[in-house]
Amino acid sequence: MEKPLNYSYYPGCSLHASAGEYDLSTRELFKALNIQLTEIPDWFCCGATPAHNVDELLSLSLCAKNLELADQIEGDVAVACAACFSRLKTAQHVLGESAVKRKQVEKALDAPLKLDGNVKHLLEILAKDFGLERLAAAVNKPLTGLKVACYYGCLLTRPTDVPNLDCVEAPTIMEKVIEAVGATTVPWTHRMECCGANFTLSRPGVVIQLTGAVLDSAKAAGADCIMVGCPLCHGNLDIRQKEIEGVYNVQYGLPVFYLTQLVGLSVGLGSDKLGMDAMIVNPTPLLREKNLL
Amino acid sequence: MKKKKMIISQETMDVDFVRKVEALSGTSVRRCFQCGKCSAGCPMATFMEHPPNRVVRLLQLGQWQRILAGRSIWYCASCETCSTRCPNKVHLASIMDALRKLSWDAEGASKESYVQLANKLFLQNIRTYGRQYEMRLAAVFNVKSGQFLKDLMLGPKLLAKGKLKMFHSKNKNMSEIEKIFSRIEAMRKNGEAL
Repeated sequence: MEKPLNYSYYPGCSLHASAGEYDLSTRELFKALNIQLTEIPDWFCCGATPAHNVDELLSLSLCAKNLELADQIEGDVAVACAACFSRLKTAQHVLGESAVKRKQVEKALDAPLKLDGNVKHLLEILAKDFGLERLAAAVNKPLTGLKVACYYGCLLTRPTDVPNLDCVEAPTIMEKVIEAVGATTVPWTHRMECCGANFTLSRPGVVIQLTGAVLDSAKAAGADCIMVGCPLCHGNLDIRQKEIEGVYNVQYGLPVFYLTQLVGLSVGLGSDKLGMDAMIVNPTPLLREKNLL
Repeated sequence: MKKKKMIISQETMDVDFVRKVEALSGTSVRRCFQCGKCSAGCPMATFMEHPPNRVVRLLQLGQWQRILAGRSIWYCASCETCSTRCPNKVHLASIMDALRKLSWDAEGASKESYVQLANKLFLQNIRTYGRQYEMRLAAVFNVKSGQFLKDLMLGPKLLAKGKLKMFHSKNKNMSEIEKIFSRIEAMRKNGEAL
């Protein structure tokens, strides 16, 4: 019998609030696949975009602190949020390259840095560590006939050399994961275009325009739904979808799933364990139509 | 400022400022040869008065006051497309970070206040609670920006879906986060960090 996979888990702030269904479905899916997640005790916010936008030293220090906390737990660091993932990886990269910044962060933490932990996005764990073949073998209810638009957004792959998750311009990891559990993917134009991210708070008009273009492209490609691996993308695509439909006088009706919700569905988890009722665009009609509920 | 004639001479070139940006961002400003690939791929360029390549050119020409006074740097979404595609490996997203920091330190140099307010509240939340609490962030933002009705219709829907938490717990190790903030402040005071 193979040793079960073990990870320290960094959910990030959104997963404890607006993206509760991402947290729930991640825990349930990993339990079903016998992958152990141990939440990092008393983790802090990674600083996200606002911190690196105006104070890089603070951003690096917060990430280094979280990596230090993660170091107490055996295993690589599993990250669900694309922004947290990007920040933690960036901190490792920058602090590995710049001795000056490393020294400053050491001083800010008043401790030697522990940066060696392998930071991995959930996609990477499913596709590489667990493996696509094992994933396919774990499927009880293949997502046959479900046409999925895989949305990478910005931070899963960019910039070059940092996240190292997949190709920066033409990644396929999301498609591989969801095809392994029986779904069909659609080629579309906006899978890596920005959704407007945290402008949702300060300048929602930006999000309406950018996310509107993403929804429009997914719909035009014939997708039934969109799959994401980032709570901010999810918030913009799902929560603001109705508003966008109103502004442009169109109907999209595209449910937006987290990758763990769709993969969870395929391994046979019930919709209550995947937080489907927390989604704003109701996925029930689509899932019924495809005989997935 | 936008329509004012630009005067470029030895005196207006500010290499010191460029060096500061390069030190903060860890990338070269001077290596840019204006191919425009950054602006071509920038999802936010339509919202900016100076698209990304022009920001770099203005910087090279010592016109940094124009950049700090404008909205462009605050309308960058940090999507990293520019850095990914630059043929000269100019990490423009990091240059934007450095410029925002310098504008931020100069307090209110820019006209773009909403984005700055959101950033400020976000960082205050980390210092006070250790984590982000979206409900508090959105509510305080609306009050402080005077947009009491912004996204009012979303609130009840999100509450019903359990997406807004009314109550939240504090980290047990809050003293550590405060120490990180204050050590950074002290380092800046002593000139040990920018």
